[in-house]
Amino acid sequence: MLKITLDGLKETQDFGLKLGSILRGGEVICFIGDLGAGKTILTKSIAKGLGVKDYVTSPTFTLINEYKGRVPLYHFDVYRLEGVEDILDLGFEEYFYSKGVTIIEWGNKIERALPEDVLTIEMKMGSHIDERILYIHSSGEKSNRIIEELRDK
Amino acid sequence: MKVLAVDTSSVVATCAVVDEEKVLGEFTLNQDMTHSEKLIPMIKVVMDSLGLRPEDIDLFAAAVGPGSFTGLRIGLATIKGLAHVVDKPVLGISTLEALAFNISWGETVIPIMDARRDRVFTGIYSCENGILLNRLEPTIFEVDKLLDFVDDNYERVMFNGDGTNVFKERIIDRLKDKALFAPVSLNMARASSVGELALNKWNAGERESYFQLVPDYLRESQAQRELKKR
Repeated sequence: MLKITLDGLKETQDFGLKLGSILRGGEVICFIGDLGAGKTILTKSIAKGLGVKDYVTSPTFTLINEYKGRVPLYHFDVYRLEGVEDILDLGFEEYFYSKGVTIIEWGNKIERALPEDVLTIEMKMGSHIDERILYIHSSGEKSNRIIEELRDK
Repeated sequence: MKVLAVDTSSVVATCAVVDEEKVLGEFTLNQDMTHSEKLIPMIKVVMDSLGLRPEDIDLFAAAVGPGSFTGLRIGLATIKGLAHVVDKPVLGISTLEALAFNISWGETVIPIMDARRDRVFTGIYSCENGILLNRLEPTIFEVDKLLDFVDDNYERVMFNGDGTNVFKERIIDRLKDKALFAPVSLNMARASSVGELALNKWNAGERESYFQLVPDYLRESQAQRELKKR
């Protein structure tokens, strides 16, 4: 587990850029955090780090947004889904087991459908309004490597 | 009778116009999963080149699966939309049957499509007196299980479909010279095969409306998945 404290928007963006730049494709990242915790900001900067030029918007309504970057980026928001059955109808395996990077907001809602190897980023409010604390967990080879590289940089 | 057919069930995007005698035109791309951007312009190129308007088409056909969920939705939405505009009938064709139909000449043909996590969408087909017969219903199989089954039951089979790109070495390791592989031009989905199968179905009296046509995702049932967890 890696704990990172981010003070303000700029530090959140820098962290996202760094994370985006070390992704190789095939990784699945889950965000857990309350509304307003900064999941969308973080996704936007990860996308930038992946070389995505498009404007990244929330997939709350569309469920999945796809972007072309260094590797494809699939941005899921599963908040509206009722449960694991819904994600099965979506064809999630095409994305989770692809060469692209998958980011899932509210990933904990579909835990049973997630691959074994997931990077989970839990976002919590810090001691003041702009502070965020990230608890980053890994559960396999790919996600372990991300944590190691985040530690090194 | 003119049929406009599409197959977007895999990375291949393909559309064709066929009639009883020939393939009038076919356009196939096999590079990126960008069907939502490519399919309609592809259809327009084929139709314009043939001097055809949507109202000149008598039957619309789509490969309904199994395959990529997103891909299938694009192909079906396109075909249903076009058919609706000109109020013409549609027919859905199994993706696997269409792949097998590429090589309908007698030997056993096993189309395999990558279903991720070491699994394939597959079925077993053979041809008798020029008619393609389905020996194993379309299903989702772990690739090793399929190879065991083939090894136990068949002397010689031909594989096609994008699963051959992913699992070729494993197939050769397991089946040795029992396994043949299709030439690349017959290895992928061809809308001309979908179109011809649709014509055959039409002539056999099958009818569907654009309101009824739905994808056949062939995903594992809840029961199958629960069983696996134990």
